[in-house]
Amino acid sequence: MTRQELGDASTSIVAEGAELTMQRIFDAPPALVWAAMTAPGHIHKWWGPHGTYASVEKMDVRPGGKWRIAPADGGEGIAFAGEFLEVTEPERLVRTSSPDIPGMSPAGPPAVETITFEDLDGRTKMIYHARFPSEDVLSFALAQGMTKGVLEQFDRLAGLLTEIA
Amino acid sequence: MTRQADQLGATFAALADPTRRAIVARLADGEATVNELAAPFELSLPTISKHLKVLRQAGLVERGRQAQWRPCRLRPEPLRDVATWVAQYQEFLGQSFDRLGEYLRDLQANQTPASPDQGNPKPEGEGQ
Repeated sequence: MTRQELGDASTSIVAEGAELTMQRIFDAPPALVWAAMTAPGHIHKWWGPHGTYASVEKMDVRPGGKWRIAPADGGEGIAFAGEFLEVTEPERLVRTSSPDIPGMSPAGPPAVETITFEDLDGRTKMIYHARFPSEDVLSFALAQGMTKGVLEQFDRLAGLLTEIA
Repeated sequence: MTRQADQLGATFAALADPTRRAIVARLADGEATVNELAAPFELSLPTISKHLKVLRQAGLVERGRQAQWRPCRLRPEPLRDVATWVAQYQEFLGQSFDRLGEYLRDLQANQTPASPDQGNPKPEGEGQ
């Protein structure tokens, strides 16, 4: 319905209704990508926008385990927290994720993120899929928002992603 | 600050009801009176007014000042906030994955990956 193709050559992003799918190919084997995405010693090196530092406050990678990553030293930015639902190393990770954006909401609607890692002969295709539970509301708000000139937000994002590629 | 902080939640709550979504969709085409809004529904005017009150409190609808018919019109800002929220989420992830790609390249180039903690990070300030 409200399908948006975003992203660039390295990252494909599709937002459709209340679902968001990102695909990216990393030049590293799945075991390493998995480690980089689940081990606190790795996560703080790349998590978050450029020029920011993250602090991994909790990362209990097993079903029912909790996770929380916040901007380091009380810096500005978005904290994410949630719970792992499914852990199949190094193929599939399912977790809830509630972003906490200052000034927007106490916590955004929690998404269920399904991350799969596909082995491409030593490279990894990562598919990052986020589904928001309040699907009716979100897809409606996006659809109405689109007709009211919200598209420039997405153009800006697409522009940004092109710049940083 | 608190008002702003509650806005997104209020928008989601207000739009959780299908009748209210239909009212917003109708107002996206232009302003309308309460009578006009009630026409497509099998609902009483007081019921429609109740829905309008929720939408007004969420900042999605405002009433005109004309004493006689006071038309309702859509305020699109809260809808934009939802879209902005999604855009921020995407932006955050997009930049993170970009950095992850660089980090993985560095890791493999050095071939000396520091053995990262596999379990919980040690809480800071924990005495050894």
